[in-house]
Amino acid sequence: MMTQRLTSRRLTSAAIYLLSGALGLVAFIYPFFVPVVAPDRAWAHGQDAPLLTAALVGFSVLALMVELQGRSLSAKTVAMLGVLVAVTSVLRFLETAFPMPGGFSPIFAPIMIAGYVFGGRFGFLMGTFTLLASALITGGVGPWLPYQMYTAGWAGLTAGWLRSLASAVRRPRSGRVSRPGVGAGHLSEDCGQARTRWSILTLCIFGFIWGLLYGAIVNVYFWPFAGGPAEQTWAPGIGLGETLARYAAFYVVTSLAWDLARAVGNVALILLLGAPMVKALERFRRRFNFEVGDIGQRAGSTQEEAGIRV
Amino acid sequence: MFDARVWLIWALTTLAAASSTRNPLYIIVLLLITTVVSATCPEGEGRRAPLSPLRFATFAVPLSTVFNALTVHFGDTALFRLPHWLPLMGGTITLEAMSFGAVNGLTLTVIFSAFSVFNQVTPVRDLIKLAPRAFHEGGVVLSIALTFIPQTARSLNRIRDAQAVRGHRVRGVRDWVPIVVPLLVSGLERAMGLAEAMVARGYGAVSNEAQPVRSAGVLVLGLLALLGGWLAYLFRPAWQTGAVGTMIVGAALVGVVVWLTGRGVRHTVYRARHWTLGDSLVLAGCAVTLSIALTQPTALQYSPYPRLELPPFAPFVGLGMLGLLVPAVVTMGHEATAPQPAKPTGQQAHLKADH
Amino acid sequence: MRSHPGRGSRQHPLVLFDHLTYTFPGSSVPALDDVSMEFQEGEFVLVAGASGAGKSTLLRCLNGLVPHFTGGLVRGEVCVAGRYPVVEGPHNLSRYVGFVFQDPEAQFVVDRVEDEIAFALENAAVSPAEMRLRVEEALHLCDLAPLRNRRVDTLSGGEKQKVAIAAALAMRPRILALDEPTSQLDPQSAEDILQGLVRLNQELGVTIVLAEHRLERVLPYVDRLVYLSSSDRGVLSGPARRVLSEIDLSPPLVALAKAIGWDPLPLTVKEGRRFAAQIPYPSPRSSGQDAGLRAASGDAQVEIRNLHFAYNGRPVLQGVDLQIARGELVALMGRNGSGKTTLLRCLVGLVRPDSGKIEMRGESLIGRDTVDICQDVGYLPQEPDDLLFADTVGEELDITLRNHGLHGRPPISPDELLVRLSLEDVKERYPRDLSAGQRQRVALGAVTVTRPDLLLLDEPTRGLDYRAKLELVRLLREWQAEGASILLVTHDVELVAQAADRVALLSQGEIIANEPPGLLTSSPVFAPQVARLFPGSGWLTVDDALEGLGSQGAGISGSSPDARRALTGDCDSEGVGQPRASSSERGGT
Repeated sequence: MMTQRLTSRRLTSAAIYLLSGALGLVAFIYPFFVPVVAPDRAWAHGQDAPLLTAALVGFSVLALMVELQGRSLSAKTVAMLGVLVAVTSVLRFLETAFPMPGGFSPIFAPIMIAGYVFGGRFGFLMGTFTLLASALITGGVGPWLPYQMYTAGWAGLTAGWLRSLASAVRRPRSGRVSRPGVGAGHLSEDCGQARTRWSILTLCIFGFIWGLLYGAIVNVYFWPFAGGPAEQTWAPGIGLGETLARYAAFYVVTSLAWDLARAVGNVALILLLGAPMVKALERFRRRFNFEVGDIGQRAGSTQEEAGIRV
Repeated sequence: MFDARVWLIWALTTLAAASSTRNPLYIIVLLLITTVVSATCPEGEGRRAPLSPLRFATFAVPLSTVFNALTVHFGDTALFRLPHWLPLMGGTITLEAMSFGAVNGLTLTVIFSAFSVFNQVTPVRDLIKLAPRAFHEGGVVLSIALTFIPQTARSLNRIRDAQAVRGHRVRGVRDWVPIVVPLLVSGLERAMGLAEAMVARGYGAVSNEAQPVRSAGVLVLGLLALLGGWLAYLFRPAWQTGAVGTMIVGAALVGVVVWLTGRGVRHTVYRARHWTLGDSLVLAGCAVTLSIALTQPTALQYSPYPRLELPPFAPFVGLGMLGLLVPAVVTMGHEATAPQPAKPTGQQAHLKADH
Repeated sequence: MRSHPGRGSRQHPLVLFDHLTYTFPGSSVPALDDVSMEFQEGEFVLVAGASGAGKSTLLRCLNGLVPHFTGGLVRGEVCVAGRYPVVEGPHNLSRYVGFVFQDPEAQFVVDRVEDEIAFALENAAVSPAEMRLRVEEALHLCDLAPLRNRRVDTLSGGEKQKVAIAAALAMRPRILALDEPTSQLDPQSAEDILQGLVRLNQELGVTIVLAEHRLERVLPYVDRLVYLSSSDRGVLSGPARRVLSEIDLSPPLVALAKAIGWDPLPLTVKEGRRFAAQIPYPSPRSSGQDAGLRAASGDAQVEIRNLHFAYNGRPVLQGVDLQIARGELVALMGRNGSGKTTLLRCLVGLVRPDSGKIEMRGESLIGRDTVDICQDVGYLPQEPDDLLFADTVGEELDITLRNHGLHGRPPISPDELLVRLSLEDVKERYPRDLSAGQRQRVALGAVTVTRPDLLLLDEPTRGLDYRAKLELVRLLREWQAEGASILLVTHDVELVAQAADRVALLSQGEIIANEPPGLLTSSPVFAPQVARLFPGSGWLTVDDALEGLGSQGAGISGSSPDARRALTGDCDSEGVGQPRASSSERGGT
């Protein structure tokens, strides 16, 4: 019965991730497809597009948040998230004191590293909350915020998956339920050197990709305003390729430099700071027997969480 | 002045209005409205965005103008011609394209300005309270983050000094390790202490929602509906109404799940703000504007192509947009009737306490 | 011992421990072993014991944090106000037990005082009207009304703890449990908080369970003293005088009283004076003798002349003059905000003074980079944890050496230093896992591995228990013997009495007094307990007093019957009391 519930739970959570990801994907690529597939529609409804997209991305974030947060966050998780978000925000302000190439943001590295150590769920929440807190503090709340939160959340989430993947690859699980993306990433005792280096390397790759993707996704918000569908695209011969080319041009002009700086910055941070941070966090986690509460566990059932026997 | 939710709705309505048209006259009206509101409504301990809307405009408008002009070669009023072999830019540069780009830039500015106002007038704490009850814990996370930021900043300085005192020089990025790691670890240790204090104060109520699986299932259905509806809306014009309907159903399902989750959270609010007449007025104004924006596509539609002409101006649309000006009107009305706005200063609170 | 009509006469105690045994997860030795005792409603209970003895654990059993938050194995039973914390957990118990923790920085979720107090009420879903009433109540009880709209991070440590207490009281709990609430605070704030607790207990009848190191401040008001021994895991519980007479750990006054054999044990200086007045003691010895025992001779190794420093236009240091000789330990005292830490920061180069001279062995320190200076000047900051980030203790020392480029030829062998710091068995352990005293010593090692000639310590005894303090004093004496000068910033009068060769008082940006500690004892503010007991004797510590009295030959072998009569008011037929003067009885100070 328990396993049955667990399995259906896992299925539903996998479904939520999938659908939410799909929503994000459609939001991202629709500007390229719509003019091609439904040209006469595009103009009339091109105006609502950004609204609709933002709303849908918003719902996507909402759904993921409800799923991951629900009511099953323990006080430890909440406190840790709060403090880590504070630390990352402070680091962000610190970096603005130094002349860094625009777009470089030191918040992605900690988000991904935290996601790697504490699991995808924690990473998603940390990504979302860090962006939200930053926006609140710097007065940057706007319709682009759902995109920012969404992307940062996914960056943290995938970093957590990376860890589960790593453990699954290295040691075939025996009796332990591996929950891709949702589990706490049970710490295996073997934290060998080679494994750490491999993980850091993969994290770097992820950092690079997400650095670029983040910019690309947030830019999609502005895209309809700068070069949105217009009658001119229906001149004969204009196809998907042309639209993509235009977006590519838009991207290059507005944000490629920014995003490259960010991506490279992520790689640098993870490369240089990643290993010590991971080590420190792992150690902390072991000291405090910290596990992010699993799905299906009710909040307040700290008995199970604390592993007590009476 | 007004409830944070009301401000959010106002900003979103401005967003909707701005996105609904490319008519420069209406856009300019909206821009003026947001500027007036920004000037009249007092800062409520909010933070000013580092970029003022004016400065934003100075780079957004030229950028989009130039970009559009260079990449779109359509329109009747040709200005000059670029050689054909240029990859994207080759072709006629038309006035229509330029003006379209300019209007786009202005629209972005309006959106930015509206949210600037939002950031300016809402204190951060109120924003956190905006979170629906289902996300109460998220609100706590943000609360903790904001409370810990000053402390963390002080910690950072202390750690920097401490490391300097054992001979550590910060030259490259690698040298940040002895500063970042203690910062992280002491922060986390503090977090454990904080968690204990929270638990000791009764945090972490066991909620009574018995079927987390069921609500997750509903969530899945809701997302499916949203996705399906959206795809249909985009790619199958014939099913438009059905598509919109599906999307609404999906949104409603997600909303229901959020609400149900919220119901499980046992929690009251200490400083509940009371709904005032001003809040209702602002909402009414937003409703008027929104109805115009959503139901009058023909009146709002304007395109510079193929030939640039003077844009039409329908007075009733303009009036409808004035609905967004209500916050400024109400604020000015308040100031006129109540010459001493009661802002509790520290001193007043002190006096009050002593009576 | 005191009779309180109405208290302690109920059938059902408020708190009942019944053969409680608790073991931390992963530990083989129980932290609490077979603890059985009762607390009555309205009692003021003081829990004492060395660090690591289990005071915090015991307190956390009251509201279920142990074992719900910490894990582990529990046997036996705890019953608090009719509820069972082990079964029900902290959420249910939060309405009956209010808890205040040690670290004022790590207890706040919201940034406004009023909202923080309301947090617990919000979680309990109390109605808004009721909430407002209770918040007012709590603010009033803790004297926080003027601070209600302040942001928490603008408050001082003492004010923060008051807010924590108010937040705990807002739930109207039956018991208020406090885990060393004053250990991070300066004496003035600590006094404030403790007096507030006493008032709460005496005027409102709030049951208080307090774990504390500074026993002397609250002993007179305590109904019950619980002592946890780290060696045999035993627990003593009973009236204060009875328990104190059986244990080693006691404030100087009580230690002296036990050594001399005063009975009944005096708990305050006032009570002690009644005994002391009966004993003739010699006129003060010349302070030169004292100083001779500790300080080495030599001209000034460190010279500070006319130092000025202003921060944001506000003058902090206004002409500070100070000399420290080789092998001398100077204690720097002064109120909060008087500029003590700023002076230390000037010395180590973290801030640059506006004018004045700082010279060490003739060379000026001003204008040099901190990284440069710290080879010769070791600085232990207030939070030693700020330094620790390596994987092992040994590595911490290595890192400093590498920073200075001294790895190949260290001025002192790191292993030797570890032995001196009593850290050789923990060389391979993770520094942050160690106890507070050990962590401090690791940090000390990290800054002294370069063999500095001047050592600066900023409030090193905050949060340490008696034993760790003694360790520290021993270490300092060793360094002094090697010729290092030490400047020690502290509030701790007893520490100064034990360790300092000279005391400098910093006030209004200037050094207003600079003399051997003996001469300061006449001041009621800075005098340690022994000095207040025997004014004019020049004695500062229990050892001093015992030596002085022993050489007198008078009164040391028993209590004076007159004095006893004075206190208890009746004639005693026991004659001269039991001799208790053995040197091993002199408890820690």
